[in-house]
Amino acid sequence: MIEKLKQVGNSVARIDALERVTGRATYTADVYLPDMITARVLRSPHPHAHILSIDVSKALAMAGVHAILTHENCDVVWTTGDKRNKRYLFNNPVRFVGDPVAAVAAENRHLAEEAMAKIKVEYEILDFVIDTEEALQPDAVKIRPGGNLSPDAKGKHEPEVYSRGDIEKGFSASDHVFEDAYASKHQSNAQMEPRTAVAQWEGDKLTVWTGTQGISNCQRDLCRDLDLPREKVRVVCQYMGGGFGNKNQCQDSDLMAAILAKQADRPVKLEFTRKGDFLGVHGRWPTNQYYKIGVDKDGLLQAIQVRNYSGMGPYRKGTGSLVGTELYRCPHVRREIYPVYTNMTVAANFRAPAYPQGVYGIGSMMDHIAHELNIDPVEFHLKNSTRQYLDKIPYTSYGLADCIRQGADIFEWEKRWHQAGSGVGPKVRGSGMAIGLFGARLGRSSAVLRLDSEGKLWVHVGVTDVGTGAKTTMAMIAAEAMEMNLSEVEVVWGDTDRCPYSVGESGSRTTGFTGYAILEAAKQLKQKLEKQGLPKGDDMLIAQVTTEPKLEGVARYGFAAHFVEVEVDIELGGVKVLKYVAMQDSGRIVNPLTATSQVRGGIIMGIGMALHEELLYDQRTGVPVNPGYYGARVMTHLDAPEIEVHFIETEDAYGPYGIKSAGETPIVPSVAAVANAIFNATGHRMKELPISRDKILGAVS
Amino acid sequence: MKSITRRLFIGQTGSGIAVGSAIPSLEVPTGLFESTKSVPLVSSKTQIKFRVNGESHQLEVEDRWTLVEVLRDHLHLTGTKIGCDRGECGACTILLDGKPVYSCSYLAVWVDGKEITTVEGLAKGDQLDPLQEAFIEHDGPQCGFCTSGQLMAAKGVLSDHANPTVEQVKQGMSGNICRCSNYNQYVEAIMAAAKKRKKL
Repeated sequence: MIEKLKQVGNSVARIDALERVTGRATYTADVYLPDMITARVLRSPHPHAHILSIDVSKALAMAGVHAILTHENCDVVWTTGDKRNKRYLFNNPVRFVGDPVAAVAAENRHLAEEAMAKIKVEYEILDFVIDTEEALQPDAVKIRPGGNLSPDAKGKHEPEVYSRGDIEKGFSASDHVFEDAYASKHQSNAQMEPRTAVAQWEGDKLTVWTGTQGISNCQRDLCRDLDLPREKVRVVCQYMGGGFGNKNQCQDSDLMAAILAKQADRPVKLEFTRKGDFLGVHGRWPTNQYYKIGVDKDGLLQAIQVRNYSGMGPYRKGTGSLVGTELYRCPHVRREIYPVYTNMTVAANFRAPAYPQGVYGIGSMMDHIAHELNIDPVEFHLKNSTRQYLDKIPYTSYGLADCIRQGADIFEWEKRWHQAGSGVGPKVRGSGMAIGLFGARLGRSSAVLRLDSEGKLWVHVGVTDVGTGAKTTMAMIAAEAMEMNLSEVEVVWGDTDRCPYSVGESGSRTTGFTGYAILEAAKQLKQKLEKQGLPKGDDMLIAQVTTEPKLEGVARYGFAAHFVEVEVDIELGGVKVLKYVAMQDSGRIVNPLTATSQVRGGIIMGIGMALHEELLYDQRTGVPVNPGYYGARVMTHLDAPEIEVHFIETEDAYGPYGIKSAGETPIVPSVAAVANAIFNATGHRMKELPISRDKILGAVS
Repeated sequence: MKSITRRLFIGQTGSGIAVGSAIPSLEVPTGLFESTKSVPLVSSKTQIKFRVNGESHQLEVEDRWTLVEVLRDHLHLTGTKIGCDRGECGACTILLDGKPVYSCSYLAVWVDGKEITTVEGLAKGDQLDPLQEAFIEHDGPQCGFCTSGQLMAAKGVLSDHANPTVEQVKQGMSGNICRCSNYNQYVEAIMAAAKKRKKL
């Protein structure tokens, strides 16, 4: 048992909950400035085309239209939009349906839309390719220079390879070898707040209000892409409506708004439409995964080989990686990743970017091997899960085995899990389990603490609180470290003019990175307080630190084991989740109330990924057919089962109070757990996401 | 009600890109963003009188303005959010004469003579609505962008059901998407608010 603390570990309401339930929280779209005008983006209707000509004269001649950007008058590069080749804000050729062609700023949104209707674009239609593996065929149209296998960081067009041991030796040592293929599809982040940016110039100083997961990164990118010094750019994000990975760094909308505002000499609010958001903002990369796995007669893993193709769209914004082999103890492993350019919508980070799709594939493989060898999956996972990162680096703390064991008990695995496909009748039940992990890294961050004469503590941190409860978490860590009450702490956040550097809310890093900086700043402040006492009058005691804790020779991860029971309607193909038990090792939990929300939300999102969600393409036209909430079939109130959450609070010597990470781990095993439960219920292994009704019916009929 | 539909507006203004359509199958995928035709503008205006959160408003609105536009852009009641602007997500839910309505899919001209309640009208001074209290206590909002809509839809559920079951709550709330997927918390909060009301 970990030692109990005074503030950290209490279930408390978010410190900004009142603002969030009264409509007073100010999101980017809620920023209205004097003389502000509105901008809209015109997007390509074609998956791949040369723009032969673009005539904006009629649009620009309209009264109330202030500025129009196209590739002809704007050659600004959006650096984080593509990590390999240059991606302009407006590209020619356009390379996917939704690629921006023009941005129009006008007196109001209706006028901007009318102006867009008057822009005449002449396209030369080019060949296109949507399918990931088809894009690697020699006769496929080249989307980017050097071919469709996206280059690695060194510019080489080669797959990314990880290997340990000798894979052939591993297969020779195996008594059984299993080969299979799994596929996952493009899933839209679909955060509720559509991409919005407000830009204002006061002289040569630019202020951008934007829904971002990282104000510091956003500021850095704006400076680089617009060639501005840091002191001339301010980024503000007071509240933001979700992102799940697609609002980190600076977005094209931020840059477009800034340039339009400069040209129009008016503040500009640029809003993406919902359809524009589904198309123009990235989602999770689709994968085609090919496995070959060898085990010995005792069911111990001897060799894991995986070859994976990730469809990145035409711009390389994400890694395209695939995670899963990390979970298993195995002497011989080889993994090849092919990130591939296609003319689909761009794919990059989405909650645990490379994880749930990879764990779906390998978790299904492992479940299948256990089934074939007649081993209980719980036993198989206890035997084969590794206690060292990549089988060699010790973890700082490790709660996975406890998650598996205790989860099986709580779920009543012995009672619920049965021989696969043994149910009878139109509705059959089955249970499945899967395991997952996600990094709980440590790294550079800053914090400024100020104590005033009345004993109020001001905590300046560059976090934005994307919904994780980070502001509250930061306040609780500060209160704990300063031995104060939570009510005596004020958090100052989301404004680069008032807050120091933070890594941003991505990669489950805020608590570990920025929480640690607060801890160190508090140490300094306490020393000053002891020496000098409370400040007088308007004076303040100030401590500011930048910390960069390092992990040497150890790996720091959060873990999860999930258990789920489903009911499959074999006449109608529907899947209903009846029971879901999530065991999470996130180290010490700061705020069980908000941490539970994170876990439940991540899992329900994962169930959507398992059962419903896919951005579908018309293969003949290369046009996505369902870019909206109805078509994307994200989870609704009616779909969401009750999720039972248990935290295994392991003791971890690193990071603030041994807190690990909570935001991303929950989605990691969720997809595999549901897929394995469907196998247990029906006796059919579902090898392609989403496991929609048609696929279930196809399998059972 | 004026005899003009949202779809007619879309056709007339050529602004299909912005407002989309509520029914995906009606969309023509090619030409999704094709907008080369010059089209006549609709810009006629109408005087309307209506009440928002108990306060009377009289204003001249363009016939193509949606209710949510008027609330946000013209009355500066920004608590009501635009998530999709096409009747799919529920972030813009308000109460119209006591019933939950998507304000993105309702024209401003239609509210003449009607009574609107937005999230800003839920609390009575400093006294929060029991639903707001329950949302805080049960951690309803994560990012919070859908929260105003969830609250207004929940008001509708509780006015339809004196003592709702979990299924009735889920059914009544099914038009309000939460991508943070904090559905468990929202349902628990609404059930708690209903229970509390029963006790009073």
